[in-house]
Amino acid sequence: MLRIPTRWFPLALMAAVFLAGASANDSIDVIAVEAAGPLKDPDADFWVDAPVTRVGMQPQVVTLPHHADIAVTEVRVRAAHNGRWIGVLLEWRDANPRDLLVPDTFGDQAAIQFPVQSPASPMMGNSGGLVNIMQWRAAFQRDLEKGSPGIRDLYPFALVDLYPDEVLNLTDARAFTGALGVDNPVSRPFDSPVLDQVAEGWGTVTVKPVQKADGWGVWRDGTWRVAFTRPMIPLTADDPELLPGSESMVALAVWDGHNQEVGARKSWSVWIPLRIEE
Amino acid sequence: MPNVYNWQIGREMPYPFEGARPTKQFAMIFDTNKCIACQTCTVACKTTWTSGRGQEYMLWNNVETKPYGYYPLGWDVTILDQLGVQRMNGPVYSGKTLFEAAPAGEIVLGYQPTDEDYANPNIGEDDSTSEMAQGVWMRMPHMQWMYYLPRICNHCTYPACLSACPRQVIYKRPEDGIVLLDQHRCRGYRECVKGCPYKKVFFNPMTRVSEKCIGCYPAIENNRQTQCTITCIGKIRLQGFLATPEAAREDNPMDYIIHGAKIAKPLYPQFGLEPNTYYIPPVHVPPPYLRQMFGHGVEEAIAIYRRASDDRKLLAAMLLFGATNEIIHHFSIEGNRVIGYDEKRAELVRVPMTEPTYIREAYDARFDAYRTNVT
Repeated sequence: MLRIPTRWFPLALMAAVFLAGASANDSIDVIAVEAAGPLKDPDADFWVDAPVTRVGMQPQVVTLPHHADIAVTEVRVRAAHNGRWIGVLLEWRDANPRDLLVPDTFGDQAAIQFPVQSPASPMMGNSGGLVNIMQWRAAFQRDLEKGSPGIRDLYPFALVDLYPDEVLNLTDARAFTGALGVDNPVSRPFDSPVLDQVAEGWGTVTVKPVQKADGWGVWRDGTWRVAFTRPMIPLTADDPELLPGSESMVALAVWDGHNQEVGARKSWSVWIPLRIEE
Repeated sequence: MPNVYNWQIGREMPYPFEGARPTKQFAMIFDTNKCIACQTCTVACKTTWTSGRGQEYMLWNNVETKPYGYYPLGWDVTILDQLGVQRMNGPVYSGKTLFEAAPAGEIVLGYQPTDEDYANPNIGEDDSTSEMAQGVWMRMPHMQWMYYLPRICNHCTYPACLSACPRQVIYKRPEDGIVLLDQHRCRGYRECVKGCPYKKVFFNPMTRVSEKCIGCYPAIENNRQTQCTITCIGKIRLQGFLATPEAAREDNPMDYIIHGAKIAKPLYPQFGLEPNTYYIPPVHVPPPYLRQMFGHGVEEAIAIYRRASDDRKLLAAMLLFGATNEIIHHFSIEGNRVIGYDEKRAELVRVPMTEPTYIREAYDARFDAYRTNVT
């Protein structure tokens, strides 16, 4: 009954083209390394061999809502591959890491985006311009490290007498579990803190049924270092092709939870050329 | 931004989506003069819908004491303060709605409550505006006052939560106007929590997405009124479907009370959301406060309410509050009875217009005892 306004999409594409021209980000060289398996360890030795590209981040102010006063204005990027997996390491300053969610707090997040169809908008793609978005969530990583938070983890002095799932069978209790009961993919992590997703414009990001992305983050000395990795060879039509010796593009987004950044309130980059070594 | 017509403020206003009204609109009327804040509605809702993990302090239905009770803390005074002083002296509101007052970069003027704001649902309970001096007596309106305000989601015609969501996760059902939040698509951005001025969308920290009152839609789909309505021991609520003023039917009790007699008023109509829960204002509260909360026409509403016994039709409609669990679509008066009917005009309930009176002698010869009449 209510129509989705589409008037912003052409504006977004124009802005993306303009901003791409105005920005002076270097390309990112994806070096070949000997490491085996997914390249998801942010502390792995091979990252020091990869050249650093400093990527300027801008506030997302094209579609509503905005957060003009973003916390992260620069991300340092390194990239590597081992012939089967590509890895991208993001580093940014963050004095106040956040990985616990209560009604008024937001978690730190970061995302990298590859084009699947071309041309595609750097801002989450567009209709006919499908993109792959891998999103790392600090809250997911906390779940994997420490287990899903219970009420006492969030509110140490909370008193609760009984939950429905303590007295009902699984089927009957499901109705009382909200988004967890309908398997919302953002409620809990699968096996990784990174979500493998596709998008065709704002508001369309969708978690893929088969998760091929992985990653991990380390916060140390006021800096987040988060590694993303995924297979280089597409396994399905909505996977990006990132073969050795080829060129592609990557765009970034970062959310500083402490600065109330979430959803559209984020810092983002334009497309950055990606040169993948043979 | 498209313009839509909001009959509660008597004018068109900008809204991010085209206006398209549902076939039927879920609505509820509360008689604040009858509410005793027993919280039976709150508990009925809580045990039915929000007893799970992460919903511990989530109340889709709550009853707060006005003027000093709030859930979450300061929900209405905070957004009123942000909106600033506005003019609403007549049926056409000349001030700004929350959509018109949206700052740059926002869809709607709103704010994110703090976690602590949800921690004291009963704050201000039974607090009066001040203490009574020795020897004073009450005049109308009362010098010291408080009243109870039961609240659910307003299932607004122009929901701010729906407009604020960047993913269109929230939708308004065309068949009954109930506003729902897709639990599978939500990603927990909380733009809806920020955008809803009534603060009736809540973030669940366990599921990490937002949740809201679902208008008991499984009951509505089976022609049954909501849990909070049918459990109300004071019979202060009537839930049904409301038409727009020009399409109002005199034989629909909701339409007659709201559009015919005009004794029930929307909650903060100046926000511009066209909320669909309506309040019969408390008769003892100073009008300036009520005008701010329920908009233009509050004093007239109270005057008509106080003369309800002069209008048999109004009295009949009001006697249907709490009379049946089913949704009443039509009503009529037959002799000393008001009859409520369902959508297909099948009879649901008969209620006497005048309660029969029995006078009992003080002396009971059977037991040779004198009784004190305590009722």
